[in-house]
Amino acid sequence: MWQYRELIRNLTVVDLKNRYQNTSLGFFWSLLSPFLLAMVLYFIFRHLFSSEENFAINLVVGIMSWRFFANGTSSSLGAIVGKPSLVTKVYIPRQILVLSNVLANLVSSLLEFIVLLPILFVLLGHLPATVLLFPVIHLVYFWFIFGAGLLLSSLFVYFRDLNQIWEVLISVLFFCSPIVYPLSIIPDYIMPYYLLNPITQFMGMYRNLMVAGDLPSLYSVAVVIGFAIAAYLVGSLVFSKLQRRFAEEIG
Amino acid sequence: MSAIIVDNISKKFRIPHEKKNTVFQNIVGLIKRQFDYEEFWALKDVSFEVKKGEALGIIGRNGSGKSTLLKILAMVLYPNSGSVSLNGKVASFLELGVGFQPELTAKENVYIYSSILGLSRKQVDKVYDDIFDFAELKKFETMKLKNFSSGMNLRLAFSTAINATPDTFLIDEVFAVGDEAFQKKCRDKITQFKAEGKTIVFVSHALDTVKALCQRTILLNEGRIVTMGDTEKVINDYLAMLQEK
Repeated sequence: MWQYRELIRNLTVVDLKNRYQNTSLGFFWSLLSPFLLAMVLYFIFRHLFSSEENFAINLVVGIMSWRFFANGTSSSLGAIVGKPSLVTKVYIPRQILVLSNVLANLVSSLLEFIVLLPILFVLLGHLPATVLLFPVIHLVYFWFIFGAGLLLSSLFVYFRDLNQIWEVLISVLFFCSPIVYPLSIIPDYIMPYYLLNPITQFMGMYRNLMVAGDLPSLYSVAVVIGFAIAAYLVGSLVFSKLQRRFAEEIG
Repeated sequence: MSAIIVDNISKKFRIPHEKKNTVFQNIVGLIKRQFDYEEFWALKDVSFEVKKGEALGIIGRNGSGKSTLLKILAMVLYPNSGSVSLNGKVASFLELGVGFQPELTAKENVYIYSSILGLSRKQVDKVYDDIFDFAELKKFETMKLKNFSSGMNLRLAFSTAINATPDTFLIDEVFAVGDEAFQKKCRDKITQFKAEGKTIVFVSHALDTVKALCQRTILLNEGRIVTMGDTEKVINDYLAMLQEK
C-alpha cells in the first residue's frame, strides 16, 4: 500500500473537492446540517431528559460520532461501483478506493469535531484534559469504519439494492444507539444485548473523553479495539475474495 | 530474461440467463431454484512467454479472447487456472485518461493520472513541462477538464501516459484514436519505446501496425492459441482463416 500513498492522497483530495466544490459555501453547509439536527433533537427531547446532566452536549457529541459512521459507510457503498474505470481499465489495489473514501470522511469528521471544541468549552465551562486522547479513539473508530466500508463496498458490487437495505438498517441503528436518549433509560435485562452495538461502545468512549473527562477503563478500550480489528478482518477477507470478479461484474 | 511468463491460463465467464444483481432477485432465485447461467470459456490453456525488449502482437477476430488476455496480464481480471508472472513495472493502457476528473483542472488531472500510473509527485514535477509541450496544451493548464474538447482530452491523456516509465507496456487499441497526425505521433512514440528496449504487448485489428511493430505475434481463436511465431506468417494464417469463414 505504501507505494500507492500518492494515489491515496490524490483520490482523497478529489473526493473532498467534489464534495465541497459544488456548493459555494462548501464545508459550511456540511457543518450546518449536524448542528441543525442537534438543535431540533434538543428541542424535542429536552423536557424528557431535562434531569440528565449535560444532555445537550452529549447529544452533539453523539451526533458527530454517529455521522462519521453513517456517512463513512453509506458513501463507501459506492466506492467501487462509482469508479468503474479504475476497476476495469487499470490495476491498482482496489482497497485504495475504499480507503481514500473513508479518509475523506475522516477529514470531514475531524473538521466537525474541531468546530465542536469551542462549543464544548462554552457549554461545559472548561475543556477536559482527556480531550487530548480524542485522536487515538478517532483512529480506532476510523479503522472500524474502514473495515465496514470494505465489506459494504464489495457486497454492493453484487447486490445493487444494498444501499436501500443499508439505509433502513442505519436508521434502525440510529435509534438503537444512545444518541437522542441517555444510556440510563435502557432496562437492565436488555443491556447486555444493547452493548453489543459497537456504535454504543464508541460513543461512550467519546463522551467519556470529551464531556465527562474520565479515562476509559482498560476493558472498554479492549472492546472498541476488538470491534475495530474484527470489522477490519471480516471486511478485508470478504473484500479480497469478492474483488477477483469485480471487473466482470462492473465491466 | 522473460518479462512475461503466461503458464497455461484459462478464463471462464458466467453468463446468467437473467442477471440477478440485487438481494431481492437472489432470494427469489433461491426459492425458485434458479441457478442458471451459461459457462463460457474466454481463454483455454494459453501459454506463452515474452522476452525483455520484445514486442508481441495479439490478433484474432472479435470475441477471440484478445482483450480478456490483455486484461489478465493487466491484473484486472483473474484467471480461473494457471498463472501469470510479470517482471518489472507494468503499465496497462486499456483506456487512456483513466480516472480523469471533469471538475478539476488539467494540471490537477495530470498529477492524478500519473499517480494512478505509479509516478510520485516529484517524478511528475520533472516531466510536467514535457507533458504539456507534447500535448500542445500549455495555455490550458488551469482550465477545468469538462471544458476540454475530446481531442484535447485525448492529447493530455496520451502525453501523461507516455511519461510514466514502465518496463512493460500493455496496449489495447487505445492508440487507434484521434486524427491522422495524432495517430502518427502515437506510432512514432511506440516505435521509440521499442528502440529503448521496452517490452510491448500490443492487441490490435490494425494488421499493418502489428506488422511494423511486432517481431512475434499470437493468433487467438475461440480462446485458444492457433499459431504463434513470426508476425508475417501469423498474419497470413489469420487472413487465410478469415477467407475460410
